[in-house]
Amino acid sequence: MKTSARDLARKVQGIGEAKTFEVRSSELPTWCPGCGYFGIHHGMNDCIRKLGIPLHKVVTVSGIGCAGRYPFFTKTYGLHTVHGRAVPVATGVKLANPELTVYAVGGDGDGLAIGGGHLPHVCRRDVDINYVLFDNSIYGLTKGQPSPSSPQGMKSKASPMGTTDKPLNPTLLALSYGASFVARLFAGDKKMISDVLLEGTKHRGFALFHIYSTCVTFDKSYKTWENLKKWIHPLPETHDPTDLRQAFDRVLEDDWSVGVIFKREQPE
Amino acid sequence: MGRVDVTMEVCGMAGDGTIAAGGLLNEAMSAGGFSVLGFDSYPAEIRGFGRCVTRSRVGTERILALVDKTNVLISLDDVQSHSRVPYLAWDAAVFFDSNPPVYVEEEMSLAARVEPGATLFAFPMADLAAAAAGTMRGRNLTALGGFAAAFSVPRDLFIEVIAKKFKAKGSRVLDANIKSFDAGYAYGLEHFSDRLRDTLKPPPGIKTGPEKVMLSGNLAIGRGALDAGLKLYFGYPITPATPIMEYLAARLPEKGGRVVQMEDEISSVGAVLGGFYAGARSMTATSGPGFALMTELITHGVMAEIPAVILNAQRGGPSTGLPTKTEQSDLHAAVFGGPGDSPRIVIAPTDVEECYRHTVMSFQLAEKYQTPVIVLTDFYLDNRVENLPMPQATESEIADANEYPDESVRGAYKRYLMTDSGISPRSIPGTEGFTFSATGLEHVEKGTPNYTEDNHMSMTEKRHRKIAGALEDLPAPVEYSRGGPLDVGVIGWGSTFGAILEAVNIANERGLNVGALKITSIFPFHGGVIRAFMNRCSEVLIPELNYEGQLANLIDHLHHKDVVRLSRATGVPISPSLILKEIETLALAGA
Repeated sequence: MKTSARDLARKVQGIGEAKTFEVRSSELPTWCPGCGYFGIHHGMNDCIRKLGIPLHKVVTVSGIGCAGRYPFFTKTYGLHTVHGRAVPVATGVKLANPELTVYAVGGDGDGLAIGGGHLPHVCRRDVDINYVLFDNSIYGLTKGQPSPSSPQGMKSKASPMGTTDKPLNPTLLALSYGASFVARLFAGDKKMISDVLLEGTKHRGFALFHIYSTCVTFDKSYKTWENLKKWIHPLPETHDPTDLRQAFDRVLEDDWSVGVIFKREQPE
Repeated sequence: MGRVDVTMEVCGMAGDGTIAAGGLLNEAMSAGGFSVLGFDSYPAEIRGFGRCVTRSRVGTERILALVDKTNVLISLDDVQSHSRVPYLAWDAAVFFDSNPPVYVEEEMSLAARVEPGATLFAFPMADLAAAAAGTMRGRNLTALGGFAAAFSVPRDLFIEVIAKKFKAKGSRVLDANIKSFDAGYAYGLEHFSDRLRDTLKPPPGIKTGPEKVMLSGNLAIGRGALDAGLKLYFGYPITPATPIMEYLAARLPEKGGRVVQMEDEISSVGAVLGGFYAGARSMTATSGPGFALMTELITHGVMAEIPAVILNAQRGGPSTGLPTKTEQSDLHAAVFGGPGDSPRIVIAPTDVEECYRHTVMSFQLAEKYQTPVIVLTDFYLDNRVENLPMPQATESEIADANEYPDESVRGAYKRYLMTDSGISPRSIPGTEGFTFSATGLEHVEKGTPNYTEDNHMSMTEKRHRKIAGALEDLPAPVEYSRGGPLDVGVIGWGSTFGAILEAVNIANERGLNVGALKITSIFPFHGGVIRAFMNRCSEVLIPELNYEGQLANLIDHLHHKDVVRLSRATGVPISPSLILKEIETLALAGA
């Protein structure tokens, strides 16, 4: 998909009209045209606007990767750290000043491979930070290597015979680690991202937002827009997010349902 | 006042109460007014049949270091004490149990091993304790009682410290312990010859100045951090730094702070950076292996200009190395470790009081220069105890040292503003009108990533200029000499310096003309002062507890000829006598 300068200008104007420039900065995101991260960006900005808290009370912490650049694209305070460490750094920020609303953002390589060791502990520590995991199942910034959420058999320059490792399921991991708020979302559904992020941000305790996204440049066969749109569907209306057993069942039997998977009511 | 200088050891098997007896001994001698330096050694294994040894040196003048020879050995286990025999002075006093609870073959008894010059004090410690207190558990105190009688240490000194130690355990336990002590004391008064009497009786007038407390390096660090207004401590257990976390876990919450045991050292230093970024004084303490894991984020602190305080309690390395042995081999890692040109501040205390002062200082340095500050200690410094008046930080030493942006730049704030000093005013999240993004990517003044040639050059210069400028706030080297030209100048850092100073003092008493230079600012360092000192010395000697001569590597280019390295990778503190021998050799060669 190619985007002309005029299309881009029209898009930017459209975003401006949607008031997202209240939150997003004037820096032009470094993501490829058509990238799913634009949708996540839009949804997050919309959520922060609706939260109604001043931007100087919000801190966005990131690691390294395509999602790592995120802090430059927002008007909140930002902290672009090193590969895999957004979550522990965000923990320090939140404990230093609990009045701040803290987002940690990062990709699947950042959060599940190099930084994977932090996920269990931030879940059990239940620090009130909001972790937005941009999952496109690929290393985009280093040009297309398999990530911990890539499907088994994925062929790439780094895996010419296809990968042999099985993919991780971050939603299932977070449930197992005892996370108190777990949501699965889709980069193509900005409205749901905004709504669920708003609910999760208000949740007292750690919140994981696992967002399926695309890499339009390096993934032409798996998480394409076409496939994702075909696969993704909302959780059934009967789903009770306060029931952990149901949450596990749902995630075990269905990879592609999105919405609030689990939410534990927290004491004041 | 006669000069007293006695080195004492208590040796026993794990479970004998060895460490407790050594601690009481130190406390009692401190209460008597003596200067005390103690250092315990124990095996890395927690259980099993480990040998425990406490060493302490007490004297009428300030004790600077431990020495090779032991004057008094209090043995709670004959077999374990065999290993201490080679360290005994020829005329040592040796206390041992003549009817120990565990049967000892005659040829395995301590009496059969010591040299003829030693004075033996054999008495039935276990039997005396059992008869007096109904249990032989207080046998370690019976041993101390015998020792106190033989050396005329006033009974009250011991009773006072025993009461302090056991009062929380109830009157029954306290009573049993006092009875156990008294049994040994009475036996000693009656049976031991008065050949050694008076040797450890506190001389009149020895108790001067403020009350002294017994403080280890680790406790001094923890206390310094508390006094400096620490808000967040993040750490991961590692020998020998763990006691700092445990001390703060007990004390920090009552001051409104938090201690969080993280999942590893990477997350620990990451959370410290996050905490300081958001305005809270934060620190972590670790040892070599953990420090290695922290390096990437330390350089992030350099690049993104975020304060952090990182204490590295060095131990024997590389890798897991010698976890319970001492070494000064992380200097290279502290000064140079990590990717890129990444200048940071490294300071290294040399004694327990400096452990306190440097910890306090590190927070202001980190804030003012917006940089990770690494405090280098080592196993020996962390675990040794010294008695000293409780150090106290002044208000100005703990005041906020951040430089905040001026109101006039609201809305047009540049986080990495180019300044002459290299210090760019830093805004704290939560402050309106001064938002920015900090980053580990090279960036322009505003903070946005930028890889152009001139920008990287000027930003790199800015970061180096800033750290070089910190020298004005860093403690200058301290010289100990008569001044003028010197035959030998000995330069030292960290826990080794005490031994250096003692050796230099003795050398001068023996008629040589030598001096010592103490360096506590490792990076940046006072090159001009060091060079001027070196140029007054015919020979420069740098003793260190590492093989590579890591301080020597850092500063030897300042001298017009090769410096002499005394590099020890033995895992144990260097002794003054070894340094003295080297000084004498160098002085004679030059004469």
